[in-house]
Amino acid sequence: MRKFGPVALALALAAAVALTACGGSGGKEGGTLTGSYASFPDYLDPQLSYTQEGWTAMFDTYLPLLTYKRVNGAEGSKVVPGLAESLPKISSDGKTYTLTLRKGLKYSDGTPVKASDFTTTVERLFKINSPGSFYYESIVGAEKFAKTKQGGISGIKTDDKSGKIEIELTAPHGSFTNELAMLFVAPLPPGTPAKNLTADPPPATGPYAISKVETGRSWSYVRNPYWAKDNGPQVSEVPAGHFNKIELKVVRNDATQVNEIERNKTMWMQTLVPSDQREAIVDKYEGTQFRVEHPLNIYMFWMNTEKAPFDDPKVRQAVNYAVDTDALERIYAGSMAAAHQILPQGMPGYEALDLYPHNMAKAKELLAEANPSDRDITVWTDNESPNDEAGTYYQDVLDKLGFNAKLKTINADNYYTIIGNEKTPDLDTGWLAYFADYPNPNAFFQPLLSGESIAPTGNTNFARIDEPDLNEKIAKLSEEPLGSQQESEYAELDRSFMELAPAVPYGTNTTSTFVDNQINLESVVYNPAYGHSLASFELK
Amino acid sequence: MRVAPQPNVEEAARAAAGPWQLAWRRLRRNRAALAFGVLFVLILLVSLAAPIWADNVAHTGPNSTHTLQKLEVDGEKREVVNPSGRPIGPQWFEAGGRFFVGADGRLGRDEMVRLMYGGRTSLLVGFSAALLTTLLATLLGLLAGYYRGWTDALISRAMDVIWAFPVILLAIALGLALAVGGLKIGPLELSGSSIWIPILIIGAVFVPYMARPIRGEVLSLREKEFVEAAEAQGAGPLRVMFGELLPNLASTIIVFFTLGVANAMLLESMLSFLGVGVQAPNTSWGTMVGSGFQLITSAPLLTVLPGTLLLLTVLSINVFGDGLRDALDPRSKLRLELHAGAAEPEGTAV
Repeated sequence: MRKFGPVALALALAAAVALTACGGSGGKEGGTLTGSYASFPDYLDPQLSYTQEGWTAMFDTYLPLLTYKRVNGAEGSKVVPGLAESLPKISSDGKTYTLTLRKGLKYSDGTPVKASDFTTTVERLFKINSPGSFYYESIVGAEKFAKTKQGGISGIKTDDKSGKIEIELTAPHGSFTNELAMLFVAPLPPGTPAKNLTADPPPATGPYAISKVETGRSWSYVRNPYWAKDNGPQVSEVPAGHFNKIELKVVRNDATQVNEIERNKTMWMQTLVPSDQREAIVDKYEGTQFRVEHPLNIYMFWMNTEKAPFDDPKVRQAVNYAVDTDALERIYAGSMAAAHQILPQGMPGYEALDLYPHNMAKAKELLAEANPSDRDITVWTDNESPNDEAGTYYQDVLDKLGFNAKLKTINADNYYTIIGNEKTPDLDTGWLAYFADYPNPNAFFQPLLSGESIAPTGNTNFARIDEPDLNEKIAKLSEEPLGSQQESEYAELDRSFMELAPAVPYGTNTTSTFVDNQINLESVVYNPAYGHSLASFELK
Repeated sequence: MRVAPQPNVEEAARAAAGPWQLAWRRLRRNRAALAFGVLFVLILLVSLAAPIWADNVAHTGPNSTHTLQKLEVDGEKREVVNPSGRPIGPQWFEAGGRFFVGADGRLGRDEMVRLMYGGRTSLLVGFSAALLTTLLATLLGLLAGYYRGWTDALISRAMDVIWAFPVILLAIALGLALAVGGLKIGPLELSGSSIWIPILIIGAVFVPYMARPIRGEVLSLREKEFVEAAEAQGAGPLRVMFGELLPNLASTIIVFFTLGVANAMLLESMLSFLGVGVQAPNTSWGTMVGSGFQLITSAPLLTVLPGTLLLLTVLSINVFGDGLRDALDPRSKLRLELHAGAAEPEGTAV
C-alpha cells in the first residue's frame, strides 16, 4: 500500500484549508449561478434599496459592521460581527456604541476599508435622502446634518489607525445593534457619489461584487478579488460562495420562472411560486427542490379602538373569536402560516399563543353582552390578491356576527397612505400586513401598538391603541439591547396586547425557495429579513 | 277562367299602418335580430331569477364564503376549497344544485349564484348608464342644435373636452378618484363602493358620443317645415324641442340606447377587471373575469363562464340593436345595400 509523503499531506491540508475558507461543504465549486426575479430590484445601491428584492440582491455584496449568521432558522436572526471585529460595546447609559473595524479589509476595487468610511457612508445616506435614513437620526448631530447636508455628524467619531468607531446616540436605543446590521450603513469607499448608483453599483466588501447591470433587465456578479485573501478569512460568518459568477435576470411571469427552473434554464427564482402551481410543485419537489420560508411579518385586521363599536374590548374579543385563522390560511393557499398573536414565529421573544380559538358561538355571546349600538362598519383592504379576498372573508364574518359591514377596497399603491390619514372617513377596521426590517420585537410593538406612533398622517398604529402602561413598557424595552430577559418581557407584552385585542392577527406570510435539480437545497440559506444568501448556493 | 285582378291587400295594409307597426313588421322579418333578442331576454330572466336560485337551490348568498366547508356527495366528502386554494369544480346536480358550476376561488362562494347576481349588476350598470347617457345626450343635443350660437358653442366645446380623453383612461381616472372618498354633490352622496359610482362614470363618459349625432340631427330637423309651422303657430322653444323635435329623434335615440347598453356593459367589465368599476364584494361579470383570471390555468371556467355570458349579452344587444336600427330607419339599410351594389327600392327592401 502506498503511503502519503509529507508533501502530499501538506497539499491535502492546504486544500482542506482552502475549502474551509471558501465555506465549502462538499459541493462543486465554480460555474455560474443563474436566477430570476419577477421585477428589477428598486435599487442596486445599498443605501437606497428598501425592498427585500434589493436586499437579497446585495446581502452578500455589501457587508455592514454587523451582519447576520448565514444559517437557517432562529439562529439566522442573531446579529454577528460583520466588518467589525466584535459586537459593539454599549455604554452603561445605552447611548454610546463602540466598535472596531477589522484590519486589512479591502473593497472590491482594492481600496482599503477605513473606519472613517463609516462616517462618510452615514453622511451619504442623508445626502441622498435614503428611505432608511430615519433609522440613524438617533445619532447625535444626524438630524441637523439631515437638514443642512454639511458640517459632519458630531455623534460619529472614528480613528483610521486603530479602526475604532464610536457612535453616540441622543437616547438609548436597544435595536440600534440591528440597525447597524442594515445595508443602509454598509461602508462604501470615500468619495462615492451621492446619487443613485444602480447602473454602476459601488465597490463591494462581501464575497461577490456586482459587475454588470442592465437596468430593468438583468445584473451579474463576479467574485470580489479581495475576498479570499483579505476579507473572507476574517469575516467567517459569511460564506465565500461556491459559484464564480452569478447572473440574475427579470422574468415577469412567475409561471415562466417555474418553467425555466424545471427545464434547467435557470437555477433559482427569487419570487414566490405562483399559487395555482404551488400544489403541483409541493407534490413533486418539496424537500428536494422546494422549501417554505418564513420571513418576519404579521398579517392582521386592526380595529379602531377609539371608535364605536370597537372601543369596547368585548366587541374586539368577539371578533377575534369569530375569525377563523385556518380559513384565512386556506385563502392564502399555502403562502400563509396561521397565527393569532402579534409576534411571528422566528422573532426573538416569540412564544406560541392563541387566546381566541375559533368559536362563533362564543363570539356571538360576547357581542350580545356588549350589545353595541353602532353596527355599521367599514372594512378596509387593498386590492391585491389574496389580501382583497381576506378582506372579503372578514367582511362576511362581521356580517355573520351581526354587523352591517361595508367593504372598501383601495389600490395597494396608496392603501397605507389612505388608512394612515386620520381625516379619511370611516376608519373602523381593516386589513394590514407588516414586515419587520430586522428581527427585533420592538420593530412590531413600537410602530403598530405604541400610543407614541399615533399620528395624523402616516399613522402606523392603525388600531389607535394608547394604553399608558403598555406604552411605558414598550418605551422601556426599546431602550434595552435584546437579551433573554427582554425576550420574555416582549412575550408578556404580546399576551397583554392580545388580551386587549386591538387587532385580529391571523398569520404570517410565507415565501418559498425553489431551485433546479442541480442545486443542493440544504445548502441554501434564507434570512428572515434579507431573503436568500446568494453565497450559500452550491451545486450538488 | 280569368280571374279579375284583386287589390294588393298587403300593400293596402302597409299604407294604412303607422311607422311603429311598419318597424315591427320589418323587425319580425329579421330572424337573426329576433333570435338574439330572445337570447337577451333569456339571459335577463336568468339574471333576475338569481334570488330564487340562491334561496331555493344553492342555499347561499352571492357573498357568503365557504372556504373550509365540505360537501357531502354520495357519501363522499368534497372540500369546497382544497388546501392549495383550488376551488371545487362543477357539481351540476350532484350536490342538489349547490356549487352547480363550482366555487369561485379561495373564498368558496357559489359560482352559479355569483354569475346570476353578477348578471344583474352588469345589466343594471349597462341599462342605467345607457339611460343616463341617453338623457344627458338628448338634452344637450337638443339645446345645442336648437339654440345654436353660444349655447351650441359652449356645449360642443365641453363635449370636445370630454372627447379629448380616451374613454377608458377617463373612466379609470374618475373611478380611481371616486373610489376612496365617494361622491358628494349637494344632497347626492355616494360611497366609493356604491354601484352608482361606475354607473355615473360610464354614463358621463359616453355622453359626447351620443350628444354629437343628436345635435347634428336637430340642426337638420329645425330647418324643416313642421318646425317652422309650429313656431308660426306660436309654439315656444320648449314645445318645439320636446313636442316636435324629440318625437322625430325617437328612432335614433332608441338605437343609440340599445347600443349604449352594450358599450356600457363592456366598459363596466373593463373597469371592474382593472379594479375601478364595481367594487367587492358586489359582483359583476367584469369583476368575475378579473378574479377568475388569477386561476386561469387551474380553473379556466371561472374566467370563461362570465366572459362568455358577457360576450353573448353584448352580442345579442348589438345584433338586436342593429336589427332595430334597420327596422326603424330603413334608409340606413338601403344605404348599406347601395354600397354593396344591391340597391332596391325602399318599398321592396323591407
